[in-house]
Amino acid sequence: MEATERALFESGVRHATEATDGAALDSALDDLGWRDALAVDRRTAVSVLFESQGATTTVSAALDWLLATALGADADAAVAVVLPSLRRCDHPGRLDGDWCVVEGLGTAALDRCSTALVVAQTPDGAATFAVDLGLLTRRPVQGLDPALGLCEVMGEFETAWAAQPKAADWPAAVALGQLALGHELVGAGRTMLELARTHALERMQFGRPIGSFQAVRHRLAESLVALEAAAALLDAAWEDPSPVAAAMAKAFAGRSARTVARHCQQVLAGIGFTTEHPLHRSVRRAIVLDQLLGAGGVLTRTLGAGILSSATLPAAFPL
Amino acid sequence: MELDEFKLAVDVWLDAHTEELACTFEGIGTLDEQMAQLRKVMRLTYDAGFMRMGWPERVGGLGGSNLLRAYLGEVLTARDLVEPGIYSMPEVLAPTMIDYAPEALAAEMVPRLLRGEEIWCQGFSEPGTGSNLASLACRATRDGDAWRINGQKVWTSLAQYAQRCVLLTRTGTTESAHRGITALFIDMDSKGITVRPIETMHGAHEFCEVFFDDVEVPLDRVLGDVDHGWSIAMDLLPYERSTALWHRASYLQRRLEQLVAVAPAGSLDPVAVGEATELLWSFRARSRATQRRLAAGETLGAETSIDKVLVAAAEQVVFDLVAEGLATDVVLGDDPVSQRWRAEFLYSRAATIYGGSAEIQRNIIARRLLGLGADR
Repeated sequence: MEATERALFESGVRHATEATDGAALDSALDDLGWRDALAVDRRTAVSVLFESQGATTTVSAALDWLLATALGADADAAVAVVLPSLRRCDHPGRLDGDWCVVEGLGTAALDRCSTALVVAQTPDGAATFAVDLGLLTRRPVQGLDPALGLCEVMGEFETAWAAQPKAADWPAAVALGQLALGHELVGAGRTMLELARTHALERMQFGRPIGSFQAVRHRLAESLVALEAAAALLDAAWEDPSPVAAAMAKAFAGRSARTVARHCQQVLAGIGFTTEHPLHRSVRRAIVLDQLLGAGGVLTRTLGAGILSSATLPAAFPL
Repeated sequence: MELDEFKLAVDVWLDAHTEELACTFEGIGTLDEQMAQLRKVMRLTYDAGFMRMGWPERVGGLGGSNLLRAYLGEVLTARDLVEPGIYSMPEVLAPTMIDYAPEALAAEMVPRLLRGEEIWCQGFSEPGTGSNLASLACRATRDGDAWRINGQKVWTSLAQYAQRCVLLTRTGTTESAHRGITALFIDMDSKGITVRPIETMHGAHEFCEVFFDDVEVPLDRVLGDVDHGWSIAMDLLPYERSTALWHRASYLQRRLEQLVAVAPAGSLDPVAVGEATELLWSFRARSRATQRRLAAGETLGAETSIDKVLVAAAEQVVFDLVAEGLATDVVLGDDPVSQRWRAEFLYSRAATIYGGSAEIQRNIIARRLLGLGADR
């Protein structure tokens, strides 16, 4: 996208996430041509939307759209994608004879679709099954972040009932999803930092704003460092969206967002611990996103174990 | 020359001159050995033209973007041919001369620095002036057609080897703070200069105390304008946090790579290794973005404090792993390779102190990037 086009797109997306949520945000994104943008300039479409979505703590079907297109579905298809179970990033489907056993999570968009894509490992490699949602059981999840609208998806279907499976590049789809969640985590972190910054400037104690105390200033500075580092790693990962690079960027964004949450919660102190203040929404969102499509802690351990067993570091992006 | 073309040319040349360029000592060597190695590598790369790339023609350079310098330092470090701290000093000193020295002086002096014929040092810190640079007291007094310098500097890297010094002096009243500072370009063989190396815990005595006792400096050695030295210091500090840090990223990556290759099985925690790698890669990503902004002609500023906080954090995390994975070498080893791991581990403890402490960087971020107002 060119600079002017990008600026227009960015302000449109930002406005949509500020003004709408859920199904209404899906329509607003369609009006903005987000799915066309995804086909033309995936990096801009994903980074702009997911950072805005994280910043406003809203939800849309965009993660499903992104994964579905990465799995070869039509750009405008009304399908949801079954995500792996919490903390995991492997296939949510497992073949058992003629049956496919499904265990995973669904986004809020799942309820608005009639078909879900389930990726399972088959003897011929990973394959995507398009399944009638009526065949699967859904349990709406309240959990730590009810506003995210997750559901647990379970069940089994006879593979012959599903449409002919398509070969799937699951690692590539997961990598894109991880980059999207990484941007969403950075967005959530930026909102937490802005809330804490505003509070530090306005809240008076000992006759001065608490933002004049070095202990407070350094927590906020540390938060900005964490966010800019995470944003830089995401940017670099887009230049080479390999599974390793995306997993690193996602894990690091999750760790950064949790660091920011810790500092900002401390700066916002009492008011930030109430539901009268919006901070808790971003804190909840950051914790849950960190656990989706590969928990940060798991991805980091996997990275470290791989480095130790191969005695080599992952490819470093060139100058 | 474009970056890709340059990379190829440098790599081919380095492969062809491996023996000539190789380190003549094992492990960390003495500081004398390190300096001799540095001078040799700089001379050879200068004569081959590579060291001149990325610097303006009016100071003996061959033009081209800063990315060329970034790559040269990266590859020399990655091949263990130079120690990045001492190699990267021209990244701060040369831009100061290019931007502020009289044209003829810069044209005469900068090539000597880049070719390794001369070592220069930077006289900023003083015993009473650490984080609060604007409080410096080393005095320069106008006396006829010369300046007379009296006072002391400390933490002056490589002063014992240096032929020149970029010195910040007090020319206004003591209370003039940042308004009464003047930068001078000084010959280190001037009468009245005494250099005393400081013994540091990591064993390489690269830092010095420098005493000035009625040292005479010609008037034409002023950099920029009299009483405006503060802006020079402020302009060059972001340089200290750009190309030099990219070189450091290359060094940290190289050492982490060597660590995971030699650490005994089971000595390292996979989570700690994963976290260190993510942090180091994020710093690389940040530093590369800074290099690209510089190449695009942007002026660097307070945002480079983020790069500095990150490099210090990454360095300490990497060497915490070294102390864990190679504990026997670091704690008990007396062979040259162990000595190097130990010295570098110890030096990493200073990463949050030198070049503007971690606290000062956070103050800059809070005030300039987060708009939290002045701290009290």
